[in-house]
Amino acid sequence: MKNHETDWHIWSGIAILTLLLFRLMWGFVGSSTARFSSFVRGPRQVLGYLRGEWTGIGHNPLGALSVVALFLVTAIQVGLGLFNEDEDGLYAGPLASLVSPDTSEKIREIHEANFKILLGLIVLHIAAIIFYRLRGKHLIKPMITGRAAVDPVAEPFRPGRWWVALICLAVAFAISRWIVAGAPPFGT
Amino acid sequence: MRIANFVATAAVGLLLACGRPQASQANNSQAANSASPAANAAATAIVAGARPLSKDQALKIMHERHEGMEDVGKNNKVLRRELTAASPDLAAVRAAAATIARHSAEAAHWFPAGTGPDVGKTGAKPEIWQKPQDFAAKLRDFQIAAQALNAAARAGDLNAIKARYGALGGTCKACHDNYRAEMKH
Repeated sequence: MKNHETDWHIWSGIAILTLLLFRLMWGFVGSSTARFSSFVRGPRQVLGYLRGEWTGIGHNPLGALSVVALFLVTAIQVGLGLFNEDEDGLYAGPLASLVSPDTSEKIREIHEANFKILLGLIVLHIAAIIFYRLRGKHLIKPMITGRAAVDPVAEPFRPGRWWVALICLAVAFAISRWIVAGAPPFGT
Repeated sequence: MRIANFVATAAVGLLLACGRPQASQANNSQAANSASPAANAAATAIVAGARPLSKDQALKIMHERHEGMEDVGKNNKVLRRELTAASPDLAAVRAAAATIARHSAEAAHWFPAGTGPDVGKTGAKPEIWQKPQDFAAKLRDFQIAAQALNAAARAGDLNAIKARYGALGGTCKACHDNYRAEMKH
């Protein structure tokens, strides 16, 4: 990566970290379809969905696997990035000084390898959206608007509260800011 | 002593380069925007070389360059860790600054013509030898910044050290942006 792009790289990572933190909290206190408890399902339900036995709204049990995988791999990517530094020691994630240069070096290698996994998941994710679209199911619009034509037997959608979202966002910002400052007592 | 060494090499380079029409012509055309005649000489010495290198010689220099640059990077990491710590270890800072200063002086001999990517695996871009004047100026900035950091480290004033450390990093980036390719080990 060219050096002058590295600042963008790092700040994009911090922005994604903030989004991940928000989504994590929203997964517990957000809208009904955003809550992990409402869509993360075991293998039996996944197989059931594949047989057409699913009538819910939001992420289906198979899509839930994609959500979890994307969330985890993105979290790993961002988490590793925080401890990363370039080989010249010119650019460093906010927590790089907390580990030794050798550890940071190994972390950089995993950060690079994990990105390929992330790319694979992104391709799979987009392919799935296109697949559903070709079968007549729109996924993106409902994701943004919260509105979709649903099966009448499905449970009703309960939107999240705006002030809960605001609190989650504020907490996510605060945690990110804390990490940017160098974490524990702000650096070593 | 290192600087004297460097200037001497530069002077020798100039003498030798004058015997070569192409090199001296390049010298003249670049004289307009250069700081001093010595700078021109330095540029020529750095990138022209006295005579063509054998493959073995070239690879030896490239290896030395790689190891040296890697060590600069490692010591730069040590510096950041120490200088962002609540109570920096001054001895470690001094050792790292001295090592980087030493390598910066050695770097005057790291980029002779014929040590580019066409010869062997390297992060050094061909542009180094296409824009020798600019490259030499940036290398010189690095050397000056490294010496300045070393002096500050010996004096021991943390604020001065941090400022010089920042300036040093700037000279690394300035050169690497244009002249260093991404390299996989």
